[in-house]
This record gives sequence, C-alpha cells and structure tokens, in this order.
Amino acid sequence: MAARPATPASPKNHKVKAPQPGQPMYGCEHLQRLFNQDQATTNTSIQHYKAILHTIFAKSPLIAQTAKMVDGQPVTELTPTYLCLQCPSTLTEDDRTKHGAKKSHRFYVDSRCGTLYCQMCDDIVYDPTFEELRLRKLGTGSFASRKRKIEELFETTDPVRENPTFLSANTMAASCKAGGLRGIYNAGATCYQNVVLQSFLHNPILRNFYLSDGHSSSNCDVPHCLSCAMDDMFQDFYAAEATNGYTAANILSGFWISDKKAFENLVTTKEQDAHEFFQFLAEELHERNGDGKRPESGTDHTCTCIIHQTYYGKLLSTTTCQNCSAVTNQKQSFLDLSLPLENLSQKKGKNRNPRPNGVLTLQECLDEEYIKSDKCEYRCTNCNSMQQARRQTSILKLPNVLSIQLKRFEYKQGRNERAVKIDTPVQFPLELNMLPYTNTARTRDVSAEYELARSCTYDLLCVVVHVGEIDTGHYVSYCRVGDQWFVFNDHKVEVAQISDVLNSRPYLLFYIVRSLA
Amino acid sequence: MSSSDADGTGKAGVIVAPEDASPMDKLSHAILDDLVYNIVHDLLIKVHRDEKLARANTAAIKVEKLAMNATDGAAAADPKPDIVIDTDAAVYKDGQVTLKGNPLKTTQEILCPRCHLPRLLYPTDGKGARKPDPGVIYCKKHPYIQKPGYDIYGQTWVAPGPGRGKKKKDQKFDPNDPSSPAPDTGSAKDRPPNVLSFPSATCSKCKRCILVTRLNNHMGSCIGNSGRTASRAAAQKISNGSNGGSQNNDNTPPSSQKGTPLPGSRAASPRKRDADELDDDAEDSDLPGNPKKKTKLKAAGGSHALTKKVILKAKVPPSMAASLGKKDKPKTSSMLNVEQKPDDADDAKDSTVQVAPKKPTPVPKSASPSKKIKLGPPKPPLPSPGSLKKTKRERDLESESSGTLSSPPPR
Repeated sequence: MAARPATPASPKNHKVKAPQPGQPMYGCEHLQRLFNQDQATTNTSIQHYKAILHTIFAKSPLIAQTAKMVDGQPVTELTPTYLCLQCPSTLTEDDRTKHGAKKSHRFYVDSRCGTLYCQMCDDIVYDPTFEELRLRKLGTGSFASRKRKIEELFETTDPVRENPTFLSANTMAASCKAGGLRGIYNAGATCYQNVVLQSFLHNPILRNFYLSDGHSSSNCDVPHCLSCAMDDMFQDFYAAEATNGYTAANILSGFWISDKKAFENLVTTKEQDAHEFFQFLAEELHERNGDGKRPESGTDHTCTCIIHQTYYGKLLSTTTCQNCSAVTNQKQSFLDLSLPLENLSQKKGKNRNPRPNGVLTLQECLDEEYIKSDKCEYRCTNCNSMQQARRQTSILKLPNVLSIQLKRFEYKQGRNERAVKIDTPVQFPLELNMLPYTNTARTRDVSAEYELARSCTYDLLCVVVHVGEIDTGHYVSYCRVGDQWFVFNDHKVEVAQISDVLNSRPYLLFYIVRSLA
Repeated sequence: MSSSDADGTGKAGVIVAPEDASPMDKLSHAILDDLVYNIVHDLLIKVHRDEKLARANTAAIKVEKLAMNATDGAAAADPKPDIVIDTDAAVYKDGQVTLKGNPLKTTQEILCPRCHLPRLLYPTDGKGARKPDPGVIYCKKHPYIQKPGYDIYGQTWVAPGPGRGKKKKDQKFDPNDPSSPAPDTGSAKDRPPNVLSFPSATCSKCKRCILVTRLNNHMGSCIGNSGRTASRAAAQKISNGSNGGSQNNDNTPPSSQKGTPLPGSRAASPRKRDADELDDDAEDSDLPGNPKKKTKLKAAGGSHALTKKVILKAKVPPSMAASLGKKDKPKTSSMLNVEQKPDDADDAKDSTVQVAPKKPTPVPKSASPSKKIKLGPPKPPLPSPGSLKKTKRERDLESESSGTLSSPPPR
C-alpha cells in the first residue's frame, strides 16, 4: 500500500462516466452520493481505485492477500481480502464490518477480481465508471485508452458522433435472434471444413474484422474470392435470423476453384485433414487481404493482414555449435504450433511413474518443443565443417490466437508402412500460460513480472476433435461463445458442458490471448 | 490461510480433516477448503455480475421508457428534460437514471437492452423447460434448449434417404427398426415445424440446384475434375479435341457433351455418365438400393420427385417433354420407371442392351437433355427428403453427419 501515491500526479479532474441510455448512472445510491459530494472526493476515489487495481493485478499477490487484523497482526489469506477504497487498509471479511463501523468507510475492493463491495447495500456493486477502469486494467494492463485518442481525432468529422440518430436512421440493427450460432451442412465429407470454419466464425478478432466491413464482398472484384465468401458467411451468421444450418456453397466452390498448388490434394471429394484445410484457408485469406506475398513457411515473413494479425507468431531457433560455441539465430513465422505426441507418449511409458493410461498434458508437449533443446548436425560456418549442435526453439512473438496441432496422424515407417492415428489422451487447460515458452522467459527471470505473465495468458476458444480411424472418421468442434460452450457437429449445434470439452481428445486447439494489448 | 478458524479448516468449511489428523493433514485440508471457496467465489461473482447488470439495466430501460412516454418522445431530443419519473427500482431526473435500492430485489424480469422486450428466462423445451406466458411478446433471443436429439433451437432434421452409399447401413438398420425403410408419405407440410430437411444450393458454375449433402461431389465433377467421372471427362476431352483448355473454362456440362456419341471404345460411357449425372441431381432420391426397398417403394406408390427425371429423359420424347409443364411431372411416375432407374444408375454395364434402343431419342436434339436436367431439379430436391420416414431415427441422424462422408463416391 506504500506505493499508493499520496498526492495526485496530475491535477486533472477525474470524470464520472457519461450517462448511457439503458444503463443507470451509478452502481448504487451510495456510490451516487460519494460521486456527488465534491470533485475532490471523486478524484481521490478514482485514484485510489486505480491504485488498488494496480496492486491487485500487477504486483505480487502477497500484497493484496495480506490483511492487517484489528490488533495490528498481519495475516495472509488464500481467500479474498478487502481493500478499503477510502483508506490504505486491507481487511479480512470479518474485520470489514468493524472497520466500517469505526471509520464509516463503506466501499471495499475484492482482492481476487477487483470488484467493489458496498457495505450499505451489503452486496457487490457494478458501477459504470469503476467497471470501465477494471475491465480496461484486466483487458490491456493499463488505464490509458488508445482507442479514445483515435476517436478524438475523428470527433469533428464523424457524422455518427455529431448526430447520435445517424446510426439508427441509416442502419438496421441485427435481430436479437442472430447470435452467430448455426451449424454448417456437410456437403459430402466436408466436416473437416466445417470445424475450421466454425473456429473462424467464433474467433472474435476475425468476427470483428468481417463485421466491420474489413473485406466487403460488394467492393471486391476477384471472382470466387474466398474472403468474400467468408464475408457473406459472417453476415449470414451474425445478421440473419435463420437458425437452420448454413450451406457453405461459396466457400466450397471457392475452394474447388482455388489454384493453390500446395493443397491440390485437398481438392477431392474424399475426407481430408482439418489442419491442412486450416492452413489452406489461412493462406488463401492472407492472399486476399494481405500484402500479396505468399507466406513462405519457415521465413521471417511479416504482414499486416488480418490473418497475420490473428494467427501468426514468430519462433526463434538458436543453434549452438558444440565445437566452437558459435550461435546462429533463425527467426521463423508460424501459423500454428505442431506438437508431436508419439515420442512423448512412448517416453511416458518408460517412465518410472507413468500416469494412469499414459495421459499427457499439453504443457508437457510444449515443454518438449519449446523449453528443452535437442541435438542436431549442422554445417558450422565458423568451423567450416559438419558439427554436432544443440538447437533450441522458443517463441519470439506470441500470436493473438494461438493454434496448436497435436500430431495425431503419423506415418509409421518400417516393415509395413502405413499412417496411424495416435489416440493418446492429452489434457489441456482452459487457461494456458505461454510465458515459459517465450524467448523472454529464456533470457531473464520473469517470476515476479505479473503484468507480463498476464499478457501471455491464453483462454481456450475452440477445440477440434477427430473421431474414428485414420482414413475415415468425423470431425466435431467445440467453440466458446462468451462463457458458454457449444458443440458443432456439422449442421447440429448443441450446448456443451466444460467437462465435455475438457474430456475430448483434441486434434486442433485454438487459444485466444486474454488481454489485447 | 484460515487455520485460525474455529473449526480448523478453510473458509468454505466443507473439507474438514478428521479430529485425529496430523497438523500437516489439517493444514492441507484447510488449504484445499480455501481453494474450493475461491472457485465458488469466482463463479458466483461472474453470475452475480451478469444478473445484476441485466436487472440494473432493465430498471433503467423501464424508467427511460416511462420518461419517453411522459414527454411524447421529446426526451430523446432534449438532453435534460424537465421531468422526474420515480419507479420502485430507479429514478429518472435531469435526463439521468439512478438506481433505487438493489436491482436484484427491486427488479424481477430482464429486458433485452437492444429490443427492450422481456427476455425469456427458461428454455421452452428440454432440460429446465417452462411454458412461456402466451400473452407476452418476448425478445427473440431465447435460452438454448438442451434436449437429446435436438439442437439448441429445438430443431431436428429428417433422416437422409438411403442413397447408394448407405446401403450397408440401412440393411443393418432394418432389423432394429422395421419401419425405417418404409417411405414416409407425409410431405414437408405434415412435418412439425421444428423438423428441418436438408436444403439445396446453387452450384456456382452450372447454376443447377443441388442438395447440400451432394454439393461437394457435384462440384467435384462440375468444377474440379477429380470426381469419379474425371477419367471419363478427360477421355472425352481428348477425343473431342476442340476444347483444349482446362475443364474449368468449359461451360458445357459434361452431360450435354454426351450429345455427340462417340464411335470408339467408350460407346457405353456417355450413357453411363448420364446416369451418374442424374444421381447427382436426385441426390435426395432414395435410389432403390436393393430389391427389398424397391418393392416397398412401389407399394407406397413410388417417390415421384426422384424418378421423374428419368421419366423425362428416357420415356418422354424430347419434344413432348418440353411441352410438359413441371406440374405434370409427378403424375407420370410409374412403377416401371422406378425399376428403370437402378438399371440406369448402377447396372449400366449390364444394361447396355437396354440402353441401345433408348439411345436414339436424345440424340436428334442433342442439347435438350441437359436443358431438362436444369429445369427439373430446382423444385424436387427439397420436398422429397420429406418422403423419408422421420420416425425416431435419431441415432441414424446423429451418424448421418458422418454418414454423409460415406456418400457414394470412392472413399
């Protein structure tokens, strides 16, 4: 609490959020009274709230979790403590009442989620002004709103801002029924496309791009453009009232007509690999929206297109020569992380304490690829000969949406060469911390950087599951919409429980970054 | 941790160590108990926030509506209308809405923030369903339905017809469900509104209407040339010679190319391909896969929609077919036609003898057959799935999605 600034850094007056239609001005009557006292009270309340949020979210949890008892004894709790908004005390739930009675301080911030408790309501209150600060801190790690600056630039020229009725007069609100939850009909062995399309449809970044006319199909002249087909599909999902399945005819014909040679073998009426289709679709959409360059896999390609902004990250491979210790760095952009399962599950089996059923965790697979190093042969320019080298790969730049492929389909070499499916269950979390796999974590100690760790936290967005054998089977996908999970089985959409999702055997996993900084 | 608590465990108080447990045991019980408390705490905050915000906004919407009515809509133009509206839950004053009391107590219903209609709070069917008040117009966003065999909107689909690719499965299915192969005579009208059939879509190249489950196969043969007719199409192209470009640039559907019969080795092939094309159009058709089914179809009077293309093609002379309106088609169905179909489709090799005499009819007017194909499909595909039983074949329906994988062409 010592870090809380005693005097405001700037004399700027803090404002209460402007009233919004259909929303009360304050969280409760008591907050209304607080904000209406005088400007000084409003200023200190907002400053204190910001400082408390900073303590909770950007510092060691020990600080916020340690309360001072009435007798002055510090006590650290695992369960939430309450930080007084009006003075720098941290209290346990029991002492909160005593503190309120003694000092007439009525507002406390919950140390787990930063929400405000009003003692007079005896309830958590959600005040528009405070909630905006809290969500911004949670979302981006800072209170500054970059968006607002851009908005201010356009303030005078934007007709929407000048005249609030402009929007309602010129647009039609989508029906409340149109929630983007529809199945996609299987056009004959196209479930591998459907699962990937659903993962695109429920990706908030792509959704916002297409729904804000990022690629307007009415202004595009490319015949059979796949991005136009995507645009039409997003419109149909999020603006139409239809609840029956969607017929992805344009996607399909665009797909058939596409001349991508690398994916030529995809274009058949047979069952295909969903991961290959994901790569195909990503590259195709990049070509329609991006800089026109082909994203060569394995190169350090950067592009500002929506696909690169969404899915592409960068890897750094460091090769160290075992002979002369020369280090070679190589940057690569990646669309997805492919994690092999076979070796790992075999290793697991030999382990002294194999877990029941040889269950792997996603983190173990990531450890293997992006923390541990492996040996390889390479031509060292320093020694000018083939040398043993140690190679280590870490993530240089994390993408906004992290796609992970678990290599369930392997080509077995040997006497009878054949492709096999590895059915090993892999446990995966709803919340994934990618910090350990980054280059930053490899080069310095990050154990105390809570803000950094939060910026590397990902939430599960979509799971693609393959059921059946290697050469024939079916794909279904689970997607999260808000906090609710749904299972998409071609045209059929059903509610899914989190346990259904976590017990599935994933093939592709899509994680979305929690804070879009 | 709250090891200081009187009961010796955490804050939740649900995980309690036995009296005689060691201090370490008690400590770990207390920690686990605290963690359970935190999980429940986080879940509750989430739900509480959603609910309380929804109710607070409802209170605001209601009082704003009253203010609007009181000022005849002038409140929208004037940022600070000179009125005060006071409800149980909120106050409207100086154009500002402030809460009165806790919205969780003062407000019971939830209004949609967009359309301002009340939200339906319980699903209408399945798990946790309640009957909605018929006198209330609800917001169109409904709670999702959880009912086995139905989707989140309470919809289900008619089972797809047994196409050629489904033969095995259907045979397997027969003993369990003797009624299953019997075609349902009911049309789309007789189905409950929540039972949907598979729609059709227009092929972007040939503009024909294709049932969605056959779309990929159709495009394979229409756009791509990797369909099962690919080799034949390629052979055709080589022998035609004229259209040297890729098939993509060729606007003539393969079906009409057969207008020029080939003298050479593949004499039977145009005919056969023609049959294939037909199937593609009549995707929905229950092609009588085995004799047993065939007889049932007959007994039920045949499923007209499917066979009529054959009728048009094979039986009716082109000139006459042109004069026949679409409406007339169903009447022309006959058992003979039903039997004719499998010969065309599946047994083309054996039926070459049969084929030969029929051949002459389409030849004189080479363009007409394909024209008729275009004419025919747009309307039949939709209603015909209705002709298939919708009887509780839920299991089949579920596997149907994967089942479409097993549609005719090679795996």
